[in-house]
Amino acid sequence: MSFVLNRLRTIGRILRHFISRRRWFLIPLLVVLLLSGALLLATGGLSYVAPFVYSIF
Amino acid sequence: MPAVLGISGEYHDAAAALVVDGVVVAAVQEERLSRIKNDARLPLHAARACLAHAGLAAGDLDRVVFYEEPVEKLERVLISTLRTFPRSLRQFPRAVGAQLGGKIWVIDRIAEQLGVARGKVGSTEHHRAHAASAFFVSPYPRAAVVTVDGVGEATSTALWQGDGSALHELARLEYPHSLGLLYAGVTAYLGFEVNEGEYKVMGLAAYGRPRLGDEFARLIQLHADGTFTLGLPYFAYLADAELGFGPAMERLLGPRRPPHRPWDLDDPADQHYADIAATLQQVTEDAMLGLAREARRRTAASALCLAGGVALNAVANARLAREAGFARIFVHPAAGDAGGALGAAILGALELGDPRPAPLATAALGLAIDVAGTAALAHELGLAVRTTGDVAGDVAALVAAGKIVAFCQGRFEWGPRALGQRSILANPADPDSRERLNRAIKRREPFRPFAPAVLADRAAEYFVGADADGDLTPFMTTVCPIHDRHRDRLAAVRHVDGSARVQTVTSASAPELAAVLAALDRTIGMPIALNTSLNGAGEPIIGNGTDALGFLLGHPIDGLVVGDLVITRGAA
Repeated sequence: MSFVLNRLRTIGRILRHFISRRRWFLIPLLVVLLLSGALLLATGGLSYVAPFVYSIF
Repeated sequence: MPAVLGISGEYHDAAAALVVDGVVVAAVQEERLSRIKNDARLPLHAARACLAHAGLAAGDLDRVVFYEEPVEKLERVLISTLRTFPRSLRQFPRAVGAQLGGKIWVIDRIAEQLGVARGKVGSTEHHRAHAASAFFVSPYPRAAVVTVDGVGEATSTALWQGDGSALHELARLEYPHSLGLLYAGVTAYLGFEVNEGEYKVMGLAAYGRPRLGDEFARLIQLHADGTFTLGLPYFAYLADAELGFGPAMERLLGPRRPPHRPWDLDDPADQHYADIAATLQQVTEDAMLGLAREARRRTAASALCLAGGVALNAVANARLAREAGFARIFVHPAAGDAGGALGAAILGALELGDPRPAPLATAALGLAIDVAGTAALAHELGLAVRTTGDVAGDVAALVAAGKIVAFCQGRFEWGPRALGQRSILANPADPDSRERLNRAIKRREPFRPFAPAVLADRAAEYFVGADADGDLTPFMTTVCPIHDRHRDRLAAVRHVDGSARVQTVTSASAPELAAVLAALDRTIGMPIALNTSLNGAGEPIIGNGTDALGFLLGHPIDGLVVGDLVITRGAA
């Protein structure tokens, strides 16, 4: 549980940082990247999501 | 009793440093324990070793400080990638993968893997950590501070003013304009490994002539205010993490030198590469001089502190000492990224109300060697082991007889230099020892020089400017000319230009080495030894007794001294 809470805390920190710096143009990119990161975490590894990552990037 | 752990890593030179009650208790590079050169992984072994040395558990820590702001680094990576789109398209998955796969979660991972509450783990800026590592352990109450490296979060260069327990930022220069990345790019162009071969480029420079000033004026433009601008079309690091230099640099300077080709400085092609190294060295010195003078203009300080990887350039430091106008200069012994761990720990400790640490008297901040355990293993391996009541006398006798001796005493050093705790010692007057060391033991390029260790209170007799109270020579961060009358006698430690990278030794900084030097004064008539790091080619410096015995078995040295043991390969 603390694993997930720690990551959420870090995601919150990242978003606060980009908002405070007014890097609005980076928010869409960041959201996609963070969702990708969340997907990696939720599936517990690269093997399930590798085909998606490959097609996205 | 605040206990603060500083951590560096995730790029190169991972390290941990522990400050307890404002005292620097331990500082350890991960590579010494993992045996992987420039190990970049989170320094969990080093962190646990620091804690064990202090008798603390992770739960006793009041704060853990990472030496870099991961979110700011992510921002720089994203912006840089977008700026160079579409050239950066190939690099994008790897850069983003590295960030998502680990780097942005580094604070979480430190907390989880060390077993520290997440709320106790924080971070500080990369260059602030560098500046803290240099100023807060320097002997100066007030100083100008210059930090120069490849890149931190977005900063490549920064000027600071240190005042007591405070650091004030004065100016910064941002990526992609970076002296460290210029040096790294040319290092790669010359066929050396980046983050490892920069020392080789500095050594090679002494064999060349800086005749390529016009070409380098396209690579970097120096400005009157100390700042500089890189000619970005010549560099590829913006769009390719693997390659520091671009095709334009090859068009400017000629084809890159193939890696691993043996060097022959009588060959005009290799002489051309030596000239490139010499010009790079001159440009680096000019840039550092501009920064130091600007720092002096802004602070009016009489002392200068340096940190960041570029501050490991001992030849440039010597020029700053001569020309920058400061009365005193201090360079952190682990000026590269490893040192950021100590800077981060000190910043955390100061925030918790600790006093500023005492000036660094010794770099022996690592783990002590286990003499009894080494003896037991040596016996098990069938090596000849004897205990001596006169370590210094025995080592001096061996060295005087032309033997090459590995010397392990006490806690290992902090930083890339062997300073008498994990050293190889040889006769400084014997060129044959130098050749044997270079070719058979260290297997280095023939142009790589060796350094002398000298008793501090006798240094000025042999080396110009190596005063007993100097701040650069104790950690081998400068070079000094050898007095003419001693040049022939110091043939094994003399650079081609007649200088030497001197280490001054006192009984406070390295007591066992100081005793050997005093004994050498009686045997060879000079309190000087050739001192080089105890490691083989491509290996980190030795950490423990097992590593040392492995080195003895794998390399043609004449003996190993660990504590009061003399170990040789002969039958027990």
